[in-house]
Amino acid sequence: MMSQMTNPSAIAREFVQTGRCASCPIIDMHGHLGPIGEIYLPAAPVEKMRRALLRAEVRKIVCSPHQALFSHPDGGNRLMQETIDRYPDTFLGYWAVNPNYPEAVRRAGKDISQARGFVGFKCLPDYHAHPITGAGYAPALEVANERRMLVLVHTWGGSGFDSPQMLAEVAQRYPNATFLMGHSGYGDWEAAVRAAHDLPNVYLELTAVYVAHDFGNQPGGSGTPLPFLSCLHVNGIIEHMVERASSGKIVFGTDMPWYSPHYAAGAVLFARITEEDRRNILYRTAEKLLARSGGA
Amino acid sequence: MNIHDCNCCFGDAARPPFRYARTAEELIAEMDFCGIQRALAYHAGMRFDSPVVWNDRLVEEIRGFSPLGATWAILPSQTGEQRKPEEFLAAMRSAGVRALRAFPDEHRCRLDKRTFGDLLPLLVERRIPLLVKQNILSIGDLLKEIPGLVVVAMNVGPHSLERYLRPLMDEFPNLYVETSHYMVEGLIEESCVRYGPGRLLFGSGYPDVCSGAALLRLAQADIPPDARAAIAGGNLERMLEAARP
Repeated sequence: MMSQMTNPSAIAREFVQTGRCASCPIIDMHGHLGPIGEIYLPAAPVEKMRRALLRAEVRKIVCSPHQALFSHPDGGNRLMQETIDRYPDTFLGYWAVNPNYPEAVRRAGKDISQARGFVGFKCLPDYHAHPITGAGYAPALEVANERRMLVLVHTWGGSGFDSPQMLAEVAQRYPNATFLMGHSGYGDWEAAVRAAHDLPNVYLELTAVYVAHDFGNQPGGSGTPLPFLSCLHVNGIIEHMVERASSGKIVFGTDMPWYSPHYAAGAVLFARITEEDRRNILYRTAEKLLARSGGA
Repeated sequence: MNIHDCNCCFGDAARPPFRYARTAEELIAEMDFCGIQRALAYHAGMRFDSPVVWNDRLVEEIRGFSPLGATWAILPSQTGEQRKPEEFLAAMRSAGVRALRAFPDEHRCRLDKRTFGDLLPLLVERRIPLLVKQNILSIGDLLKEIPGLVVVAMNVGPHSLERYLRPLMDEFPNLYVETSHYMVEGLIEESCVRYGPGRLLFGSGYPDVCSGAALLRLAQADIPPDARAAIAGGNLERMLEAARP
C-alpha cells in the first residue's frame, strides 16, 4: 500500500511498510485509561490499548485514567498506579487533580511523592469547570513548581477555564514547572504557539491537533460545560507550529484509548517538516522532559 | 494497492487551512506525496461558496487530470438555484459526474423528503451515491424517509459516534462510512468484524486534515489484506460502477 508515494521521509516509509520505525520510536505524552461514559472506545481494555501501542512502537505513554478525571480522583489514581506496576515498561502516570475535591488536591503533593512512575499532574479545567488560574489548582501547581514536575493541562481556544492565554499566565506564575499545553489551545493556534515560543516552560502537545473538530457534526456537541470552539481545517498546523515555535517545543499525544497512534503519527510523518523535526516531535523532546522529571 | 479517495478537495475558501491545494494539479501532487492513485474530488467553493458557481467550475478545472473524478453538491430545487431534477441529472450525466455531495449545514437547508422529495427518489432509482456531511442522527432521519438511498456518511468523528451509528448501520444496509474522521482506535477493525469490510470507504479528508493520517491508519489497521483493499478503493469503485445518472 502507498508504495508509489513521493514523500521522501525514510521514517514515513518504514511506518507505512511495517507500522513502526525501530530508529524512531514514539513517546505519547497524553494518554488515558479505561472506558468513558460519553463515548464507546474499543481499545479501553488495557490489554487492547497496550497491543495497539506496541504495534506502533509507542515505547512509553503517560496517562491519567478517565476514572480519575470523571469521578473522585482517588480511585482513578489508584488504577493508574496498578497499571504502572503491572506494565512499568509501557506506562507512566500523571496524578489527576480536580479542584472540586479540594482535600484531594491539598494532599496531592504527599500522595504523588509516595507513588511510583508518576511524572507530574493532570488538570482538566474545561470539564471540571474551574479556571487553571484559580485557587483550586494552586496546591498542586506549587508542588510541581517546587519539584520541577510536568503538568499536562487540557487547553482549548476561547475557553474561560484553560485558554492558551490563561496557561501562559500560570506558566509565568510557576516558572519551574513544565507545562504541556494539551491540545495546543485548540483553535487559538496563534496564542498557543506564541506561549510556547515565548515561555521556556511551555510546550505544545499534539493530541487532537491533527483532528478537524466540527462539533456541529456531532450529536451532543463537545460534552463540556461550555461548548468548545470548532475548527474545520487543520492541515498544515504541524508545519505552522514547527515554523513558529520549533519542533523542540512540541510533543506527541493521542488521548489513547481515543485516537489511533497510527492516525496521529501519520499527521507527523506526512507533514512537510524535516526528519529531525519528526524525531523531536515523536520522541526526543519527550525523552528530555521525562528525564528531567524522573520518568525516563 | 489501488487507493481511491472519496473525500478530498482543492480550491480557495474564505478561511483556508494552513496548507492546501489551490488547483487540481496541486491536489494530484498531494495525492502523489501520499501514494493515492485516484480521488473523487470537490472544490472548496462547492462547500463554502456556492454549488451554483462551482459545480460546473469543478468539471472545468479537473478536465485533463485523469486521477480525479468530479462530484457535484446538491441544493433544494424550490429556490430555482439548481436545475430541476431531470435536467440536473442529465447535466450530471453529460459532465461525467457519478456521485453527489450534500453539505446541509453549510448550505442551510434540510436534507429531507420535504426539501429534496423531487430529487432523492431519482437517486434511489439510479443508484447514485450521496456523500453527506451532517450530524449522523439527521442522516438516520433521512434514511428512515428514503431507505433505499445510498448514503456515505462523511467526517464521522472525530469522537466515537458508535452508539448512534451502529443502530443505523444495523437498520440501513445502504449506509456507508467514510474513514477520514473514523480515527478512534479499533473502530475500523470492529466495523469489519460486525458488518464486513463493504461498509467503509477510504477518505483522506484533505485538507480538513492531513491526508497521511487516515492513510497510515488504514494501511496499519488490523484487518485482512482483502478487507483493506476493499476499503481503500474497491467499495467506492463498485458503487460508482453501479450508478446510472
